Amino acid sequence: MTLLVQTLILGLLIGGVYALFASGLTLVFGVMGIVNVAHPAFLVLAGLFTYELWSRLGIDPLLLTLVTTPVMFLVGWLVYKGLVSRVRSSSASMSVVLTFGLAIMLEGAMGMTWKNVFRSVTPPYFNQSFHAGALVVPKAQVFGCGAAVVVLLLLYLLLTRTWMGRAIRSASENPEGAFLVGIDIGTVAALTFAIGTATAGVGGSVMSILYPIFPASQYVWISRTLGIIVLGGMGSLPGAVVGALILGVAETLTATYISTQWSVVVFYVVILAVLLIRPQGLMGSRVRKDVVA
Amino acid sequence: MTVEPAPTTLRRPRVSVASVLFVLAGVALVAFPLLRPGDQYHQTVLILIFVLGVMATGWNVIAGFTGYVSLGQSAFLGLGAYTVGLLTRVVHVSPFLLAPLGGIVAALVAALLGSTIMRTREHAYVIITIAFLFLMQAIGLNAPRFTGGSNGVTLPLPPWGLNIGNMPFYYSLLALMLLSTLMTWWIRRTKFGMGLVAIREDEDKAAAIGVRTSVYKVLATVASGVLIGVAGGIYAYFLTFIDPRGMFDILVSVQIVLATLVGGLGTIWGPVLGAFLVVPMNEVTNGLVAAQGVHLFVFGLVLMAVVMFLPRGIIPTVRGWLERRRASAVAFERRQSVPRVVELSAPVRSTAERSSARGGDGAPLLEVDGLVKRFGGITAVDGCSFAVPEGGLTGLIGPNGSGKTTVFNLISGMMRANAGSIRFAGEAIETLQPWDRAYRGLGRTFQSTRLFPRLTVMENVVAPLRRFQWRLLPADAVSGPEARRALELLDFVGLADFGPQPAWRLSFGQKKLVELAQLLMLEPRLILLDEPAGGINPGLIERISETIRALNKQGLTFVIVEHNMPMVLELCDSMLVMASGRVIAEGSPDAVQSNPLVLDAYLGEDWNRDAALEGAQG
Repeated sequence: MTLLVQTLILGLLIGGVYALFASGLTLVFGVMGIVNVAHPAFLVLAGLFTYELWSRLGIDPLLLTLVTTPVMFLVGWLVYKGLVSRVRSSSASMSVVLTFGLAIMLEGAMGMTWKNVFRSVTPPYFNQSFHAGALVVPKAQVFGCGAAVVVLLLLYLLLTRTWMGRAIRSASENPEGAFLVGIDIGTVAALTFAIGTATAGVGGSVMSILYPIFPASQYVWISRTLGIIVLGGMGSLPGAVVGALILGVAETLTATYISTQWSVVVFYVVILAVLLIRPQGLMGSRVRKDVVA
Repeated sequence: MTVEPAPTTLRRPRVSVASVLFVLAGVALVAFPLLRPGDQYHQTVLILIFVLGVMATGWNVIAGFTGYVSLGQSAFLGLGAYTVGLLTRVVHVSPFLLAPLGGIVAALVAALLGSTIMRTREHAYVIITIAFLFLMQAIGLNAPRFTGGSNGVTLPLPPWGLNIGNMPFYYSLLALMLLSTLMTWWIRRTKFGMGLVAIREDEDKAAAIGVRTSVYKVLATVASGVLIGVAGGIYAYFLTFIDPRGMFDILVSVQIVLATLVGGLGTIWGPVLGAFLVVPMNEVTNGLVAAQGVHLFVFGLVLMAVVMFLPRGIIPTVRGWLERRRASAVAFERRQSVPRVVELSAPVRSTAERSSARGGDGAPLLEVDGLVKRFGGITAVDGCSFAVPEGGLTGLIGPNGSGKTTVFNLISGMMRANAGSIRFAGEAIETLQPWDRAYRGLGRTFQSTRLFPRLTVMENVVAPLRRFQWRLLPADAVSGPEARRALELLDFVGLADFGPQPAWRLSFGQKKLVELAQLLMLEPRLILLDEPAGGINPGLIERISETIRALNKQGLTFVIVEHNMPMVLELCDSMLVMASGRVIAEGSPDAVQSNPLVLDAYLGEDWNRDAALEGAQG
């Protein structure tokens, strides 16, 4: 029983972090209809950047998010202006190919800069735990999840309580309509992409404490984040949170009761099953634009 | 993406420079191992090119023709390789004999994967294929009892001597690459291939004109995977060692994508050309620098550059240059066809069918009852009921947003209703797929005209299928009686001279007429016309009315959504008026015009019917 409770708590904490990792991906898809396969590469990049600063300056990785977030915002803005905006007119699949090219290039660049070795950021609390009775909860996991909750709340407030958020949501729901009422779709798209990438700044810093980072580890994160947004409903932020919590728990349960090797398979199976049975996911909606030109 | 013109129209009697180069390249490839038997390195590079060539030509069928980009294509190579690798443990025959089994396994898994895309579209398919590839890799790694796990599988060494060397692999893979290219060439010129291109250009439209998209997509996936599976078997024997990471590698999939894009997506030889460029590029970047990062960096950069700057690929770009040079020499011959209505040699529907369909019971041809369609919080169609008599010309009018187009979408099967029933010729059709409705004689046009832009006008008109038959799939795309019939129908709408033009070059009004001709190929009983006069040259409106009337005289039933009141009131013999998702009035054009409900909801209080009729006659 303790093991089960422990597993569930850990699963939820992991799920919270996953929600952070996937939030940028779902945000960008919602507004632009682009599956940014390079998002996990951004996460790994921010993680390695955190590692670099932490190992040189010794500043706490969670504090470093104050640096990595604006840096990734800038990276996102540049990538949008330089690459993504130029292929907006072509098909959705071609934009996947483009962002995959970016992901591979980033992986190569990271390999050249940081070599293909595993890196971990190890602040003093990384191997400490909170104890509550028989339960043991790693501190890093709690702090990581806390950071994720803060970012997701900020993102939610930004989307629902500000003019910019309203512009983003309107551009997501009906680009033509938003354009007609005077919203600069190009700028909104660039901002969304930059904000989405900025979430990878915090995400990467959190990732660097919780997981060993390696340029090629982007692939496992591609499957995880895609699985989450597919399950939650592509483009929906609340959906990503729900999807992440479910998959975090499912993965942890699989790892505890079956084997860690098979735990990542959960994501592949969920992707295949959801897209087959309920392509719109848990919280996505099917709208008329799906059908009519 | 560009369309390879159907090969029938491409063949020219003269010998081109390209074909001479082609034969020379072929001879050089065949002769190479014989002339340089000891050059193992270059033989190996060529073998890698052939393997990538097989994969890229296969991928071309699903991505280039059908428009579904897959990032899991290399899984078929792994499936073939593992099938052969694991079988050599138990069956002691030459792996060459087992390679076809690799193809069969790949085909079976492809059919399974293909059946998953029966319901999904674009981005979902990319994601599915990525997940599929990773799943295969994970199974390979995590089930060591069956697959050897990360230790991989070792195959027996070839029994032949050094003097033969790589030749068996070299020639068999070269042959397989040519076979794969031949297969794509053949597919492209069949009805099956044209259906695939139709799906790529506009999937809903393809379904509406009788292309059974689900079967097409499954078959396309199988065709794209089967030869890769065979190649995988041979490749495994060549490598003598396979492991899950190498065999189910997403980077191999990305190489397939890159090769095809570079050469020309949707062309016949583009993927092969691309393979000849990508493999050497890999060799150079791998060889120059030891660090793996550089290789990936260059690879990603090239992929992005191709998507951004060479999206059509080399072959279509070069062909475009050549055509432009030729076009300046031969002035484009443009004959404006004189509007006229010719009599069709064969009536649109056979007389026997017509008389039986018009049997004296007087039952309506189309009956819609209590139809409801909700989009989120909006109820677009809210309890819509009406009936359409056989042989009638029924106008469906109403303000914008009253649900007219949605009703058309529900009747033609583009969407499923939340509630209500649709009966066509006495049969409930509300659960049928769009193509099944087309086979029963239900045709529709689209408000914004949806021809397949990059197919020619002629190909557009012959694309519809009256029924699904397996034996029709391998038939020539444009052939014999059908081509004659299509020409006749094009002549009927006054556009016979436009047959060889790509559809995107037509004006909006011309597109509407071609779309009508396209529908007539279905030999429909009922045509739903969505704004036939909307947004077109007023001179063509009268012509469209005449065409509709002529077809109606031959027994065709019409339901017409139209905002041009003079036209629709003059043309139709009965009217349905919709507002807020339901029919609020019906009757003769005269009765409807004086109905206070209609004046209030749509026509307006200052509606002057005499002026409207004058407008129609003037």
